[in-house]
Amino acid sequence: MTASRTLTFHVFRHNPRDSGGEPGVREYQVEETPGMTLFIALTRIREEHDPGLSFDFVCRAGVCGSCAMLINGRPGLACRTLTSELPGTISLFPLPGFELIADLSVNTGKWMRAMSERLQAWVHLGSEVNPNQIEAAMDPDLAEAVYELDRCIECGCCVAACGTALMRPDFVGAVGMNKLARFRLDPRDDRSDAEYYQLIGDDSGIFGCMSLLGCQDVCPKELSLQTQIAFMRRAMARQGL
Amino acid sequence: MKIIHSDVLVIGGGLAGQRVALAAKRRGLEPSILSLVPAKRSHSVAAQGGMQASLANCFKGEGDNEDVHFEDTVRGSDWGCDQRVARMFAHVAPKAIRELAAWGVAWNRVRAGEHEAVINGQRVTLTEREDAHGLITARDFGGTRKWRTCYTSDGTGHAMLYTVSDRVIAEAIPVHERQEALALIHDGHRCHGAVVRDLITGELSAHLARATVIATGGYGRIWGISTNALINEGMGAALALETGVARLGNMEAVQFHPTAILPTGILVTEGCRGDGGVLRDVDGHRFMPDYEPEKKDLASRDVVSRRMAEHMRAGKGVKSPYGEHLWLDITQLGAAHIDRNLREVKDICRYFLGIDPAKDFIPVRPTQHYSMGGVRTDYRGESQWLSGLFSCGEAACWDMHGFNRLGGNSVAETVVAGMLVGEYVADFCQSRHGDQEISTALAREFVQREQRGLEKIIANPGHENAVDLRRRMEQIMTDKVGLFRNGPDLESAVAELAELLARSGEVGVNGGLDANPELVLAYRLPRMLKVALTVAMGALNRTESRGAHFREDYPARNDRDWLNRTLACWREGDALPRLDYEELDVLRMELPPGFRGYGAKNIIDHPDTAPRQAEVDEMRAAKLDRYAVQSYLMSFKHLLPLKYRGRNERLDEPLP
Amino acid sequence: MNIPDSFLPPRIDRWPARLDLLQSASGLILGLFMWLHMLFVSSILLGNHAMWTVARFFEGYFFFGYPLPWLVSAFVALIFALFATHAWLALRKFPTHWRQHMAYMRHMRAMRHEDTFLWFVQVLTGFAMFFLAPVHLYLMMAHPELIGPYESADRVWSGRMWPLYLVLLFLVELHGGVGLYRLAVKWGDFKDAIAARRKLKRLKWGLTVFFLVLGLATLAAYVKIGMEHAPHVGERYQPAAFLLPSSKDFSDAGSGGGGLNPPQPPFDKGGSRRVEGMS
Repeated sequence: MTASRTLTFHVFRHNPRDSGGEPGVREYQVEETPGMTLFIALTRIREEHDPGLSFDFVCRAGVCGSCAMLINGRPGLACRTLTSELPGTISLFPLPGFELIADLSVNTGKWMRAMSERLQAWVHLGSEVNPNQIEAAMDPDLAEAVYELDRCIECGCCVAACGTALMRPDFVGAVGMNKLARFRLDPRDDRSDAEYYQLIGDDSGIFGCMSLLGCQDVCPKELSLQTQIAFMRRAMARQGL
Repeated sequence: MKIIHSDVLVIGGGLAGQRVALAAKRRGLEPSILSLVPAKRSHSVAAQGGMQASLANCFKGEGDNEDVHFEDTVRGSDWGCDQRVARMFAHVAPKAIRELAAWGVAWNRVRAGEHEAVINGQRVTLTEREDAHGLITARDFGGTRKWRTCYTSDGTGHAMLYTVSDRVIAEAIPVHERQEALALIHDGHRCHGAVVRDLITGELSAHLARATVIATGGYGRIWGISTNALINEGMGAALALETGVARLGNMEAVQFHPTAILPTGILVTEGCRGDGGVLRDVDGHRFMPDYEPEKKDLASRDVVSRRMAEHMRAGKGVKSPYGEHLWLDITQLGAAHIDRNLREVKDICRYFLGIDPAKDFIPVRPTQHYSMGGVRTDYRGESQWLSGLFSCGEAACWDMHGFNRLGGNSVAETVVAGMLVGEYVADFCQSRHGDQEISTALAREFVQREQRGLEKIIANPGHENAVDLRRRMEQIMTDKVGLFRNGPDLESAVAELAELLARSGEVGVNGGLDANPELVLAYRLPRMLKVALTVAMGALNRTESRGAHFREDYPARNDRDWLNRTLACWREGDALPRLDYEELDVLRMELPPGFRGYGAKNIIDHPDTAPRQAEVDEMRAAKLDRYAVQSYLMSFKHLLPLKYRGRNERLDEPLP
Repeated sequence: MNIPDSFLPPRIDRWPARLDLLQSASGLILGLFMWLHMLFVSSILLGNHAMWTVARFFEGYFFFGYPLPWLVSAFVALIFALFATHAWLALRKFPTHWRQHMAYMRHMRAMRHEDTFLWFVQVLTGFAMFFLAPVHLYLMMAHPELIGPYESADRVWSGRMWPLYLVLLFLVELHGGVGLYRLAVKWGDFKDAIAARRKLKRLKWGLTVFFLVLGLATLAAYVKIGMEHAPHVGERYQPAAFLLPSSKDFSDAGSGGGGLNPPQPPFDKGGSRRVEGMS
């Protein structure tokens, strides 16, 4: 390890329910320790400098998607961002595109539930199965391909990285399109393309995407969002012919 | 005062809670779910390796069935579990996994033909049968005799939680996110709901329901280093404890997972070892076969963790700035296998350690992982002391895990218990017991009490610092209530925790009653300390070693005196919890106590063990059909909801 | 659980899909056309005669034996229509409110993300072309016969069109290059999307640089010819080997130039035509 640095954090502070409060940025200094993540740094800031600082960490292991924020301007998962990979001055802002709860905490859960309801993002079952019987066989490669798309953690990074979503709040974002691509691939979902078209066949859906590919470049799970969006666009465009 | 009514109030939005809500909804009831975080962020998501269910599809799972799964589970529990519950669980697990398969979980599937695997450090070729092609496959896990752990790469919990959450959305069940239950509303006999705090606005409300279900997960965060999510602070256990009537079971039964990374305690799955990875010491030596010639690296977690600690005590640990550790070596599995089946592990290594597990060893050490203890319930998931209060999943002591849980049995429990307890909850709600008879005055009284409590914290001048007290609690739990325990340490732990509890009432807080993390810590701290005290007291009193509870001063498993379940209850005004014990009846066990097949063989027998074993042996010698033997030894099917009583079909066991 | 609203197949509005396809298709055609256009125009670098040949080729001279400039007019009209369609469709995506504009600007500054920045480049260049391109398009539509080494050079220099063309060159090449790249990632089915995108990005920048260099050289060539030809402005190019038939259309259009044309001296049919060989 090299000589330890003193990190300077510029952290957004605002509680929208505090009528007198104005949004602002507070500065904190933290001694860097080996292997320090933003989770560790923010916990230390809260414990040593500012016990009222709000942020969301749950799994702190990069799997739950709670802690997405703008790290030096780019969306990312704070829990698995090592400070050693950042410059000595680090700015932390809440994820844009979502309702602000306070400071670095935003309401991604509410957005995602609304998106799921709007896109009917669940497997549409033909009929209930008898669980006593052997399960229906599924091609092993197909199962892996479905899981590949199922790995989305709904962290909201793709929405915050999307210029379209930030201009148009009704845009479903890469997270929504990837979900429908996942269900479309899944043989257990019995929806037709016409039904998917009804959900995303307009400018707040697949045709609103301007291929800025911020989503692809920030997705913490490295999902193939470019491929999935192109795939859905081709499928939905065929409905227009 | 805002009052919200529903039929079933589920506290906790993880797999267990959501599955209960679905069961209730499908029975025509109106459930609602409270969750500290968006439901899909619950700790269930962190389960990596898989879910056990005896499908017997893959080659190394052939011959598997409920009997084998049951026996593995009981041995894993060190005979501390409720065997009827373990039976119910093993019977329903295949149904649960098949239901999830239909709902959309992308379980990895069997690929017919030859494939390579690493078993006991050797590359071997296995041949999968043709008729199993496309059925759900399984991997090896610790303490199991068959490959039974079904998986989706190493994101099993994620895939399951998302599928179940999606169904909750599909079936329009409301999830109240960022809402925390502060207290149960009850009259000493009957639970009527909970006082709920909105974590955004700070507003308190009363949620009234016919049945209340605690499904809040474990209490791992009372330790300093834990694999658990930060929200697993034992608040569900505290809710039950603070009623003064409901009891917690086996709180001292706490599992340490062998392979969590340094320094943060993030878990790397048991699937690493299941798929052929091995543990190595400072010299690069594979040491587990020296201790456990039979199961080697794949003994149960309590045993492997203890052996690791033993080995480090013998000076074979690797020194690091964060303390000693050992190595987990999965390099022989190859990059292709890791990319496909252990990708979370690869990500964790890359982001938190900066290493490539296909080339480098992973630094690991035993770390707090799972709470076998929790809200004590009967087989229906209901508290025996507070009617209308149910619990399931890790939060509960339903008691299928006893003193040690097998890997792959936790996510399995969440959905199985969710299915079963959900039915019993619905039965309860639809019976006369489920009638709601509550005056709003009682609800108001409870809400006002919590409101006063919060206002008192805010008004406190505050000569105590909540963070310091919490750190001290974590340190005590790690040092004195850890993997190895002894009388003097536990005594001092209890005394110190009790002192911290007294001091925690003097914590001061800045800021207001709304979204205020400082306030949240202040009101949770005393609750966490109460939970910690039930753990420490339970461990102090239990003068034997069983499963994950290991007393250096009492290393034997003492069936004669301790084949029982610890019950803890906390009367209002008391400084410490009261403990009493619930006996386990050897004469009704299908699998009488014996040697687990791994770990130290140091047992003081129960006087009933030998006669019961003779009975069991005689029955087995009769060579009857396995269902008949089972039913004779310990009938359980009558306990199951009708819809789940059917036999499970397998390739070699067609339905009659 | 999931009961369909009716047993009829779901009724869908096909127009969003069609408009999206049309936007992409019009962009594709315009983008490819602009690259070809650049290649044709740059034939001046091969000499006056080469350029003259290309220009006459598009008038059908080599098919019919005499030029039909209205063919060019018709083609320009088609491009104009495509241009208008594309602009109209693309305009739907532009930030229309100040709030949207600010949101995008804030986002772009924070993200420092190339593709996000390039979209803004497209918005700016598209917006500018919306005003500038019609000038050139109208000229070409109205006076298709004034495409030639001297004619074009006179327009560039003596007609003072070079600043417009210089700006248009950058607008077109940036907008078209980014647009074609975006079409590829928008619709493309790649085995390895990440690698494909990296390659496409390199190709895109390579082509942009190539066409800008080519365009600047071409413009310089016209400027040079235009400066040299300034004393004879209006005089048309006539290759030595070809004597054009005195087609009425051809000469009339030349002498009756509209207001947008460079000042033209009286056109003397026959004798005073300067005849040049290939340079």
